[in-house]
Formats: sequence, C-alpha cells, structure tokens
Amino acid sequence: MTTTPRPVPVPDALSAGYWEAAARHELAMARCGTCEAYSHPPDIVCAKCGSIDPQFRFEALSGRGAIRSWTMVRQALLPGFAGDVPFLLVDVELEEQAGLRLTGRLLDGPDVSLKTGMGVIVDFEDIADGVAVPAFRLVHA
Amino acid sequence: MSGFAARNKVAIVGYAQSDIVRRSDQTLGALTIQTVRDAIADAGLEVQQVDGFVTTPLFPSFGSHVAEDGISFVTARWLSQHMGVMPRYMESPQGQLPSGVALAVNAIVAGAADYVVVHRALHNPQGSYHGNTSAEARGADQWGMPQGHFGPITAIALAYNEYVQRYGVPDGALADVVVESRKNGARLPWSYWHGKPLGKDAYLGATPINDPIRMLDCDIPVDGVTAFVLTSAERARDLRHRPVHVAGYADMLPVNRRIASHWPYDEIMDLGAISMQRLCDRAGVGLSEIDYVQAYDGFAPLVYFWMELAGLCPRGEAHQMVAEGGIDSDRAGAVPILASGGALGNGRMHGTPQMLECYLQLSRRAAERQRDVSLGLACQGVPNMGGAILYSAEAF
Repeated sequence: MTTTPRPVPVPDALSAGYWEAAARHELAMARCGTCEAYSHPPDIVCAKCGSIDPQFRFEALSGRGAIRSWTMVRQALLPGFAGDVPFLLVDVELEEQAGLRLTGRLLDGPDVSLKTGMGVIVDFEDIADGVAVPAFRLVHA
Repeated sequence: MSGFAARNKVAIVGYAQSDIVRRSDQTLGALTIQTVRDAIADAGLEVQQVDGFVTTPLFPSFGSHVAEDGISFVTARWLSQHMGVMPRYMESPQGQLPSGVALAVNAIVAGAADYVVVHRALHNPQGSYHGNTSAEARGADQWGMPQGHFGPITAIALAYNEYVQRYGVPDGALADVVVESRKNGARLPWSYWHGKPLGKDAYLGATPINDPIRMLDCDIPVDGVTAFVLTSAERARDLRHRPVHVAGYADMLPVNRRIASHWPYDEIMDLGAISMQRLCDRAGVGLSEIDYVQAYDGFAPLVYFWMELAGLCPRGEAHQMVAEGGIDSDRAGAVPILASGGALGNGRMHGTPQMLECYLQLSRRAAERQRDVSLGLACQGVPNMGGAILYSAEAF
C-alpha cells in the first residue's frame, strides 16, 4: 500500500463551482445561462449553443445515470493509485442530458459483473482535506 | 465532386526507414538527419534541392518527461537548422501523419516548395512511457486524473469495451489482430520485432492492463524515423523511382469536447466516417474501388474500427472477419490490412508503416510482398482524430 496522495484537482475560474460542490459531496455541473445545456467539462464556449459568454452556473444533478462502458484499471500510472488497483473505471451517461458523460471509479469493488445500461449513482471519495472526487456506486433495483 | 485541386498532383519519389529499436545509440535528431539524407538520396536528389520540410512532431507520452526538440521529437525547424539548408517551406502541424502529408501536398501544389521531405521521428524516453508523477491536476488534467481516468490506454479500453458489449466480441479476439501484425512485422528487416513473431498462447497469457486491453494490444515505444520525399507529379516523372501519387487526404478533425482521453465509440466512428467521406470526395473514388487498405493498429481495437470505416465489412463484424482469417496476409483471397506489420509489428511509428507499405506496393518496390494493386489507403490514428491518405500508382 502507498500513502502517496492522489493528484489533487486545482480549481480555476471555470471549475471552482464544480469542485466546491464536490467538496460538499454534491455533483453540480456547468449549465449555460443562454440555452440551459450542461457542459462537462465547462469550457470557454457553450458546447451546444456556441455562446462565448455562457454565464455558466453550477447546478446540482441527481447523480443518477447509466453505465455506457467500463475498464478494469490494473496499472497505476498516477501517484496514489497503487493501493487502489485493480479498480473499475465506469463511463456513465447522466440522466439529465443525452450524451452528458462522467467517468469515475466504481466503489463496489473490482469483482462485480457489469452490463451496459446498469444504473449507478454518484458518490464521492475524499482524497485530501476539503477535496472530494466524484465516483459511482451501483444502484440495485 | 468537390473542387479539390490537389488530386494526383503530388507524388512520393523516395523514402528511407531507419532501424526501429527500443533505444537508439544515436539521439533522435541525428537519426532523423541520417534518415532524411538517405531518403533524399533514394529519390536521386541532392540535399540542397530540398526546399520544404514538414513533420507532425507529436511526442505522444502522457508521462512526466521533459520533451525537447531534437531529442524527444524533431520539428521541421530543428531539422532545417541542422540540415544546413534554407527551406522555402517549413511546418510542424498538430495532428498525425496525414496532416503532415496534406500540408506537404498543398505546399507543392501552391508552388511554395518543389521538393518536400515529410518525416516522422519517434522516441522512447527513459523511464515509464506514460507514468506520471503529478501531485496536482491542473487545467484539462483536473477532469480525469483525480478519479484515475488517465492516458490513451484507458481511452481505448472504454471505447473498445463499448464495441465488445454491443457486438458480443469474445474475450481474446484481438489475439488474431496482434498475431497477424507481429507475423508481418517479423518479416521486415527494420522492425523492432524482426524475426520475433508472436504465438496466440503468448498473447493470451500476457498481462492484462486495462481490461479488455492487454499489454500486447499496445504498440511498443521505440526510437525510429521514417522519411519520404514528395514533389510534383510532373517533376516525379523524371526521377528514378516509379512515383506514387497522393490521390486525396483526410487530415485531423476536431474531436468532440469532452474530458481528456474520453472518446466514446460512436463519436470515434461518426467522425471517422466523415473523414472517409472527405477522402473519397477529394480523390473522386468510392471505397469499393480501393484495392489495398492498411489499417492503423497502435492499439489493436483500432484495426476493427478502421476495417469497418474502410467498408471492408459492416459495423460490428470486423472481429468475425478477422477470426475467419479474413486479414491473413498468407491466405489467398484475404484482405491483408496489416501487411505493413503496422505499429504492433514494427513498434510505435505512428502511421508510417501503413504509409510506407502503400508506397512500396504502388511503386512496385515491395519485393517478396509485391502485389498487383493500384489504390492504397493508409489509415492512421484513432479515427476521430487521425486521418487517412489515398495513394495511387497512376495519376487519374
């Protein structure tokens, strides 16, 4: 096992609202003030309407979504993950908007059997003081 | 068709391929100069006749390496400075090899340069290729690294798993792709894997790293350089080798905006289809007229993706075609899309094996591999951000 910390996200002007919400264990994504579309990651320009002044506000999402893909990560290419491998990284389409995807570690462990379309809900990993990173858990019907 | 003015106006007239090794005794810059000189000599030209240099200098590592021109990559500017020539045209675009070929073609058609060297130099740095020691994730990195979503292997694994789940691909199916690349690469004297074909059992027994991706689904990092000399079709007629024309190209597309290294399968294929349509429009040919396809295989699943985009089989069926021996270069009637040995069979040469194989075949310089083919398609990269070039033995 390692005690090396995982890479800590450094908030910037575009991402501060996302990480502030994550620290409260809340998934909030940038929503365009003009067309209401979510953009992830938030960018200078709204991905949907093209506004160059999208006035993004960070709005809470349900955190629910469906698994679109996954991979079993067995190699720790980043610091702080040596004790976590192998882990499942899931690619999740969030229910609020078609094509809105978020990836995260599946906290149910590496031994679960996955299928495309399975339901998940967001959870958070506290990786440093005041820093939490989105992850997922399976929703059991 | 489109008003594409460059169709068959430019030809490849010579090439050189360095030995591909794990770590070269020469610095990459020196190896590049040597290879470029060899390519110019192969074309029957003098160094001073070359007035254009183009390369795609991408150093595709996500690791914590200091990237330095002349050592980890070689730009057109570095090459010009060190070749002792004053080129009229010198560009090092973003993107992959097709972007470099496209710029060289455009420069020659425009009269901005007469003889352009396009090279690709790739380097294997000391230490872990993609291993990254960053304690902080800033900018684009903050959206993936903190949750362990990092690097191209993860990206390909996610995309390929979508394909696997949708089309019911059996575990281990990619063995046939990797074994085919390694078989063909083992026959090439310059290949890192020369004389070292891979058995299917060895593939299946190798380390899984990002299921469903195994270590051997990824090309091995190497030091190596490939260089080509391009000129106008008119000038090419008077040179020593049979010219191979650039019939059309499709260079880099803008990937959908997502977090880094996240390319959903449908987005890869949708953008890839746009590329192929663009290529066909520019060349004025249909996919069915192309009689030689070389698929890119930097990661083994990309072979399936390119096969389907090139129209060799319907979507979702490439794995079946491969399993049935459909790409076996030793089987009559098969489509030998990995005859170049690709990246899996040569080392991480980023699309130059596919370009080289098309050139060698169409210039009739492929020796024992020679086939009677006339239109060669060289694919490169992940289809949503790579590209493809169509080469022709005859101008049309």
